[in-house]
Amino acid sequence: MTRQQLVYLYCVADREPELKETEGLADNLYFVCNNGLYAVAGKVEEEEFGQEGLKRNMADFEWVKAKASVHERIIELVMADTDVIPFKFGTLFNTNDSLKVMLEQYGEEFEAILRKLAHKQEWGLKIYCNSEKLKTSFSNDEAEILKIENEIKSSSVGKSYFLKKKKDELIEKTLNERINECGQESFELLKELSFDAHINRLLPREVTEREDEMVLNSAFLVDKDEVGDFQNMVDTLKMYYEGKGLLIDCTGPWPPYNFCGLSREKVQNE
Amino acid sequence: MNNVIAKSKDVTLLEILDRVLDKGVVIAGDMVISVADVDLIYLGLKVLLSSVETMEKLRGSPFIGPMQEAK
Repeated sequence: MTRQQLVYLYCVADREPELKETEGLADNLYFVCNNGLYAVAGKVEEEEFGQEGLKRNMADFEWVKAKASVHERIIELVMADTDVIPFKFGTLFNTNDSLKVMLEQYGEEFEAILRKLAHKQEWGLKIYCNSEKLKTSFSNDEAEILKIENEIKSSSVGKSYFLKKKKDELIEKTLNERINECGQESFELLKELSFDAHINRLLPREVTEREDEMVLNSAFLVDKDEVGDFQNMVDTLKMYYEGKGLLIDCTGPWPPYNFCGLSREKVQNE
Repeated sequence: MNNVIAKSKDVTLLEILDRVLDKGVVIAGDMVISVADVDLIYLGLKVLLSSVETMEKLRGSPFIGPMQEAK
């Protein structure tokens, strides 16, 4: 008896995917077809991806990094010739038959999602803030801050203490205003050029491993014909904010992870 | 047209983890691996969700609320 294997689902496509190029990334990559939908899957070991194994391995950051990268690369390869619905890391089935049952069950939903995604790409935009740099950039041109600075120079020790406090508060307030302005403006300008857009939760420094703090984490679904305009707008924003302590980081095209949600009712019924 | 904006390697790993582990279609296959189990990674990464939420509250993020509703 061979070791127990599980079926790992990567993505669903509406055209027969070419799987030759994916060789070497994962063993035994294949697809399961049902009613014109193709689920791209691979065999994995139960020991590694079963409930116990997965729990154990998820605590191993190196393992997660390696497997998450494979997950992404396989979907990107399939995405090169067809629209795809990317699945979350660790979507597992016991058998091909149970995967097929799922395809049958969600078939109409998947088709609707694929119709929505046709001829579109996901792009990501994250903005990072270097507070000190941003503070420096506005401290010299904010009239109110300059006014307090002048008052401090001509004040008694006691009075200047409170004025300094007031100045610090004003700087913090302005900092938050500038961050929000940048985030809101960037998001809204790019949303105008997109079919759909989402704001995601911010990731802390432990994850980003950057000194600058993340202040916007967003994703856009962009028509392929609009990608040029979208990128021009990103470049314009980058240029505008360059040297002002706000770093704009745009990546893509990505599989549309952020734009293929199943309707809530369906998920709740499961 | 692909990759006009280069994916630098470090950014890519963060971006991959941000998407692959957190987004994508969620279906509990026919196994009992709940999404909650997969979310354990965030604990492994020392990203306590509560601390992320706290950070967002501190930041105030006034632009996040109305825009999310508008989507």
